Amino acid sequence: MKALLYLTRRKFINNFKRAVKKPASLLLIIFCAAYGIFLVVMLAKLAGQVHFDSPKGLVVILTIWSLYIFLSNFASYASRKGIIFKPSDTHMVFPAPISPKLILLHSAWMNYLLSVVIGIVFAIAGLTVFGVAPWRVMLLFLIEIVLELSMEISVMLLLYTNDRIPRNVITWISRGIKVFLIGITIFIILYFKKYGITLDTASAFIDWPGLLMIPIVGWNIAAYRLVLLGADTVNIICTVLYLLTVAVTFLAAWRTKTDGGYYEDAAKFADDYAEMRKRKLDGEMVTGIGEKRKKFRKVSESFKASGAKAIFYRQLLEYKKERFFIFSKMTLLCLGMSLILAKSMEAGARKSGVPQLFFMGIILYIALIFSGYLGKWENELKNPYLYLIPDKPIKKLWYATLMEHIKSFVDGCVFCIPIGIGWRLDMLQIILAILTYTVLQANRLYTRVVAQCILGDTLGKTGQNLVRSLIQMMILGIGAAVSAIAGFMINMDLVFPIILIYSMIVTVATGLLASIRFHTMEQL
Amino acid sequence: MLEIQDLSKSYGKYLAVDKVNFFIPDGQVGVLLGPNGAGKSTIIKCIAGLLRYTGRIGIQAIDAKTLEAKRLFAYVPEIPSMFEALTVREHIEYIRRAYNSNVTDEEIEAMLSRFDLDDKQDKLGNELSKGMMQKVSICCALAVKPKVILLDEPMVGLDPKAIKELKEVVKELRDQGVTVLISTHMLEMVENLWDVMFVMEKSHIIGSYNKAEAGEKDLDDLFFEMTGSWETDGDS
Repeated sequence: MKALLYLTRRKFINNFKRAVKKPASLLLIIFCAAYGIFLVVMLAKLAGQVHFDSPKGLVVILTIWSLYIFLSNFASYASRKGIIFKPSDTHMVFPAPISPKLILLHSAWMNYLLSVVIGIVFAIAGLTVFGVAPWRVMLLFLIEIVLELSMEISVMLLLYTNDRIPRNVITWISRGIKVFLIGITIFIILYFKKYGITLDTASAFIDWPGLLMIPIVGWNIAAYRLVLLGADTVNIICTVLYLLTVAVTFLAAWRTKTDGGYYEDAAKFADDYAEMRKRKLDGEMVTGIGEKRKKFRKVSESFKASGAKAIFYRQLLEYKKERFFIFSKMTLLCLGMSLILAKSMEAGARKSGVPQLFFMGIILYIALIFSGYLGKWENELKNPYLYLIPDKPIKKLWYATLMEHIKSFVDGCVFCIPIGIGWRLDMLQIILAILTYTVLQANRLYTRVVAQCILGDTLGKTGQNLVRSLIQMMILGIGAAVSAIAGFMINMDLVFPIILIYSMIVTVATGLLASIRFHTMEQL
Repeated sequence: MLEIQDLSKSYGKYLAVDKVNFFIPDGQVGVLLGPNGAGKSTIIKCIAGLLRYTGRIGIQAIDAKTLEAKRLFAYVPEIPSMFEALTVREHIEYIRRAYNSNVTDEEIEAMLSRFDLDDKQDKLGNELSKGMMQKVSICCALAVKPKVILLDEPMVGLDPKAIKELKEVVKELRDQGVTVLISTHMLEMVENLWDVMFVMEKSHIIGSYNKAEAGEKDLDDLFFEMTGSWETDGDS
């Protein structure tokens, strides 16, 4: 244990030193903490405004919170993904003569920290917002920190370390837990769908005795109710059941023995987690840890091209091998957003009499906010061969990004057509909207390259995206303002032609600037 | 000594290692050879306790899964992974504490100096190049003062001086009675080091030689005699 404590202490000290040396990271931490406090204060005010500022209000929040935590913790521990391991653990910690149980307990320190912080927040909120008596708050805190944490640690240990139970049995237990969790979620959704989401239905839901009878999580909620609202028969019985469950689970976890069988899963998780972090740092949109290895289709076609054009055809070949060709999560997202916007904003947009402006605003907004979407082009910059191709940088830029423009055009069609039809815009406006979407996406892409050129690696991908958004906001803001003024002063049908022509000029200029990036690799 | 008995490991339906047996006595250097995908890395990871397996692995006659055995065992993986926020020196300090090793400060200094890390002691894990990480990984393994040491492709990424030093270190360990197992593709790197060799192909050990049996034949000849050719099945 002393080695693990040494490890944590040194990591903390060195990270702190590093944060102090890099004021940007320290400022970010301070900003996040301040934002967190601001959110909590706002939520406290909101609780007062909606008359939630009573012990009953706290019970509602705790009930929902417990269900959420219960669902997520059990699901993650069951799939052995609840604790963050890193490749350095696989190398330096797992082979060391340290008890596998101890390693597990130590590695989950972030989880405990989160529980303690949440416990403190609830305790402060109980005293200041919900008007709960101090002795009740103290008991509540004890339930959260002692009982809940003991339960969580015990379940974690049992699920991770029990190597005596065959793997397939563990798999079935995990599946059983997942089915159970999905069952609870469906029940909650159906309940609120039937009775609507209001303060009354929320209260009625948490007052329903059946909820307290759900094993473990229901009994846990009963303990909260006992402390915050006082005793009744169901509360007392369920709380006793909870105490017994915690004791039995704790004992079982204490007695369980392991020789480190979970290292195999933990090592795989560590690799997947490192891969996920790397992809995130590269600016990709990552939706999960340990995504399955891609399967590619066989393609018999062959392409012939020379110079920079070869980049485009290589990308085309790669996309042809993809399962869904150029269609991606972004296409689905565009379709989903489009259908929602077409339906939800139809009345407002048409009523305003200037749906074109609404539409332009949405397209501009999307061009600004979507930063986590990368195609194959970004990887081109990491390949030395790109710089070796004997062709002009501007041509390399064009052919490296041409496929992205085609993809943007397709996504633009998927996004603009449903909204255009839903808002009853004429065909010309829809076509212009699609073209504007495509050009703006190209602009986003080139501005990003320019941001990379300006910043290098100094601010990381997040910084680059921020600068990219700022540049785009400044440049496109002018175009948007001009087209809006022209729309109001002359004719609304001019909105899209103006923004389209303006963005095309700006994009070509940005593209020319961005082509510098294709001269040499050194700038990376 | 390192003994492997009936070691098997499957990934789902794929049998990566099939009933492998071998033994390396104290003070001998064993080399595990074979093409990509033969199962070498899987064996190494099983010995290091990173995978579930069936069969028995003994380190100095103690079950490899026990903490007692782990105290006697050091591991240099193919791809080193450092703690990002720990300095080179702190990595070794961690190892000293984890293994309760009696390695002295002077010995650590000498080790770091030998691998040209003496001026990089305060560098953090995420500031090191791959070659430097490999050197730190080797120093960490040596700081354990092991009875059995396992080196998985240890020469990859090392500069010529470090390779030379590592070869010397392996010889010194052998002279001190330590059991060494090296898994590698680079036959020429272990040519003058090995005492016993094992060749793996398609999840099995297809043959083994000890130095006396090999006579004048070099490692290349022995290897290609057994495998016929250097065919690869792809990484597992």
